[in-house]
Amino acid sequence: MNLPYRTMTIEMFERKDETMRSSDLTPGILPLARRAILILLVTFASLATVTTPVWASAPAEVYVQNNVQTGLSILNNHSASTDQKREQFEHFILGLTDMKRIANFTLGQYKRTASPQEQEAFAQAFQSYAIAVYQSYFSKYSGQTLKVTGSQERAPGDTIVQTVMLDPNDKSGQPPLEVDFRVLSENGKFVVIDFSVSGIWLALEERDQFSSFLGQNNGSIPLLISHLKELARNYKAEH
Amino acid sequence: MAGFCGRAIGVRAAAALLACWLGGCTTPTPEMLAANDPFEPTNRETLKLNSKIDKYFVIPTVAAYFFIVPDGGRRAIHNFLQNVSLPTVFVNDVLQGETERASQTLERFTINTTLGLGGFFDPATKKFHIPGHGEDFGQTLAVWGVGEGPYMVLPLIGPQPPRDAFGQVVDVFIDPTNYIHFKQHLWWEAGRYYFTLLDLRGQTYSTVQGIQRGSVDYYASLRSLYRQLRNNEIRNGRPETKNLPEF
Repeated sequence: MNLPYRTMTIEMFERKDETMRSSDLTPGILPLARRAILILLVTFASLATVTTPVWASAPAEVYVQNNVQTGLSILNNHSASTDQKREQFEHFILGLTDMKRIANFTLGQYKRTASPQEQEAFAQAFQSYAIAVYQSYFSKYSGQTLKVTGSQERAPGDTIVQTVMLDPNDKSGQPPLEVDFRVLSENGKFVVIDFSVSGIWLALEERDQFSSFLGQNNGSIPLLISHLKELARNYKAEH
Repeated sequence: MAGFCGRAIGVRAAAALLACWLGGCTTPTPEMLAANDPFEPTNRETLKLNSKIDKYFVIPTVAAYFFIVPDGGRRAIHNFLQNVSLPTVFVNDVLQGETERASQTLERFTINTTLGLGGFFDPATKKFHIPGHGEDFGQTLAVWGVGEGPYMVLPLIGPQPPRDAFGQVVDVFIDPTNYIHFKQHLWWEAGRYYFTLLDLRGQTYSTVQGIQRGSVDYYASLRSLYRQLRNNEIRNGRPETKNLPEF
């Protein structure tokens, strides 16, 4: 639940029939190699089979389930105004995640060469961007819930909590969308550092994207910051 | 001998030209190599070309399709296209040793081809609750241990690393419909491809638009998403726990 700051994710949640596929990412398609697209069409990921090597992280599961309930109660609170809900949700997200750590992670190798001032400014811009996208969800939310299905401890204090998205409006009969949360436990406190939808880890995708952008622009973190601010403005203007 | 030498020189020149096109006549930077994307400049240009074709040809065609064909019709076409591809999925299920999934594919094909009236309806999902899945030979190669190779964006097709591109070619030979010859076979092939294009792009319109609108670097975003989604497909949706970075 830390980084759903991409409209992409919203659209994926909206898909009623199937899950996201690699074939969704072929925007420039024309009938040259028929099979190339044809088979891609049916490569929807099966989310039915989940192996369960380690199921011993109940506290992290409880943590995620409780916070899902908290988030849903904010979204479903009809007595609060939209502005109030946005503010509540922002506090909720900031308490759930370690936004500065995620921001530093997404800088990748460029974190080493960034000055402390640049890191701080980037973390601020990143947080504003993330919050803007979170808040853009409000108009899209239509009753979906998340149900914890299990967890795997990949290292001590580093757990993947698995959930499925239940959509009351989904009549497709397809398996529900899988959403995984990566939860760290430090000094007895849990914090969410990344989440994935259909196998896409979003902070990982952001790191790939930001690193590439910086590589194309002489490592200019101020330029990245200005782009993030512009995107945040666009999200706010649209919603 | 002279002819042989001439051909050899020609082949070398062609190879050099191909390498030049792929590499954009530039030396890969450490960042490109780190991203396993040595042809990045060319890939970026190809993505721009694909996006233009998409914008000016594909999307208007899809809009017409949505305008003319009602939702139920589009759903039936979607079901049919999926069903006709299931034999290829089945073979790849078997090649990957996924017996349970192979069984599901076989059941789906049998049910939807008969009760689903040639595949236009999907009772396998709706009535029998047998989940569908996709497979292709690129995934089979991955299960067999073949790496994807350098990232590539192909004109008109999109992200397609060498392993997956090769897999698509093999799938053509796996697909039994390609061995059924009849008079209008060319029209059948063209129609199948055309409607597949319309169906796929219609479904993904808002997703792709969202990625374009929300990206700092659209190209790098697509590259990351393609790889992550593809790996998820190869794992058959099993969660990734090993190859995650430290925060």
